[in-house]
Amino acid sequence: MGIFPFRDQKIMSLSEAAGLVHDGDIVAIGGNLSAREPIAMIRELIRQGKRNLHTVGGAHGVDIDLMCAGGVVGTVQNSFVGFEADLGLAPNFRRMAEAGTIKVRETDCIAMMVQLRASQFGVPFMPTPVVDGTQILGLSTDFRQITCPFSGERVNLLPALRPNVAIIHAHRADNQGNVKLYPPYFADLLFVEASDKVIVTVEKVVAREELKHMGSNIPYYEITGVVELPLGAHPTSCYPDYSYDRAHLSEYVKAAQGGPEVFSSQYLEKCVFGPRNHQEYLELIGGEEKRNALMDWHQDEGRWRELMLRE
Amino acid sequence: MTEKITYYSIDELMAVCLARTIKDGDTVFNGVAVPLPFTAIMLARKTHAPNTVFWGGLLAGLNPEPCFLPPTSGDSVMLRDADPVLHLSQIFDLVMRGELNRVFFSGAQIDKYGNLNNTLIGSPKNIRVKLPGGAGGSHVGSFARNFTIWSVRHEARTTSKGKPVYNFVDKVDFVTTMGHRTDGGDRQELGIRGGGPDVVVTNLCVFDFDEASKIMRLKSLHPGVTIQDVVENTGFEPVIPEKVEDSPAPTEEAIRIIRELDPLETRKRGFSSEALKRRYDL
Repeated sequence: MGIFPFRDQKIMSLSEAAGLVHDGDIVAIGGNLSAREPIAMIRELIRQGKRNLHTVGGAHGVDIDLMCAGGVVGTVQNSFVGFEADLGLAPNFRRMAEAGTIKVRETDCIAMMVQLRASQFGVPFMPTPVVDGTQILGLSTDFRQITCPFSGERVNLLPALRPNVAIIHAHRADNQGNVKLYPPYFADLLFVEASDKVIVTVEKVVAREELKHMGSNIPYYEITGVVELPLGAHPTSCYPDYSYDRAHLSEYVKAAQGGPEVFSSQYLEKCVFGPRNHQEYLELIGGEEKRNALMDWHQDEGRWRELMLRE
Repeated sequence: MTEKITYYSIDELMAVCLARTIKDGDTVFNGVAVPLPFTAIMLARKTHAPNTVFWGGLLAGLNPEPCFLPPTSGDSVMLRDADPVLHLSQIFDLVMRGELNRVFFSGAQIDKYGNLNNTLIGSPKNIRVKLPGGAGGSHVGSFARNFTIWSVRHEARTTSKGKPVYNFVDKVDFVTTMGHRTDGGDRQELGIRGGGPDVVVTNLCVFDFDEASKIMRLKSLHPGVTIQDVVENTGFEPVIPEKVEDSPAPTEEAIRIIRELDPLETRKRGFSSEALKRRYDL
């Protein structure tokens, strides 16, 4: 929604880009569940000690759980936070929601889409057909019902939701800020148009000619800053580049289930505050060997299957 | 020659029962945390309902042919060999237009009217267990023409104080997805377009809903399960008609397809280990 026309100012360091996020901001986190979440940037937000961020989005997992544990979140407005039947409940999110140390603003995937779309379309609210009976309506001032002045039909209304900043992880960008995102897109393209600022971390910055050849699908003027971070979605996946790191996530969930002290010493100290830079993080998680294992998912089906079961 | 299959297990029977709720030509979507419905939808597409229009989760892959079913529904195997990939918003728009025939929902608590709780145990002011959330359940449940409810934990547990705890409860702690009736009224009174739940498939039985009371009605029993078992494991009184059928036994072909579709056995997740041990003769 913001326009960022200066192409020569797009490439940034991780810490510069995180500096675009301010305490109390509404932050749309890209990706979904176990896929393409901007986790390297989330680690930096935690290191910079951001406070009271308000996350918005659909069904998510480790990104939101890690932000909660890292102390950067005040409010979670996501339609789902968990590790599904794969690894179960999100332990940090759950613990903090139950203790009241984070506020959960219950929402729904479609409600979220409609609210962001109102912002994308530049209108103050959007109607939907009637939704009722669900108690999430009663927990928030976001849900109203009126009679349509044209048809007389009952409709629900949702107010526009405009994130201060969207943070997404994508595949390729050029140094002017044009971005190539491969499917699945989830809601990321909506986040881009509905948010004031957009930070994109990418697997690789490529020459403009190369990106033109791929066909970019996010224009440079939507993008505030680009940070090159190979494996920047780890431990979530970034297909077609790499699969999710189930072994790492499994260790993560075990540490989180141990309570805040255990999680702090076994995960935050080690994986968030330990490495001095992204390269050191990549070494810590297993270096070249780990990278190859996650990137080789497409070599044969057996290898791909095996990645789905790693403990 | 393919090897003869001699038995099936509860997850496979449930997948077959769930698949039967899909008619050929239906539009079907499923989102989050759903290995068993994925199995059922893929089975329906390979047997009686090849024209099912299926979006494989939030990746928005249309009619995918995954080489395995993933433990996390965010995995890109659900895009494999898909028809041209759509944007997630295109699915949600179709849902809002009322063109989705069926979706599959489970619940940490499920009540007699088919209301589902995936938000919290306790109350909003005193949360005892924060559940992950309903994903698209509150809205998709209002707009979809019908939905199928499934539960792999139709059981009674006893607390340390000797109090029985059910997943099938008289009243859910919190309505995430509306079934047929809540304190505010029924679907017609509230002006909701979608028809709500019509079938409930559990690890013990299949329910439909009594037309007049909109309360769950026992339809069929899985092998070895008695009416008494259902009653003892349900926290409300279901409608018990005079005639209760046996859940139809799966065909060998269906079981073979299920095992080929889901070599990682993600469909078995969430069941009790005792339930999974039981083998039923084909």
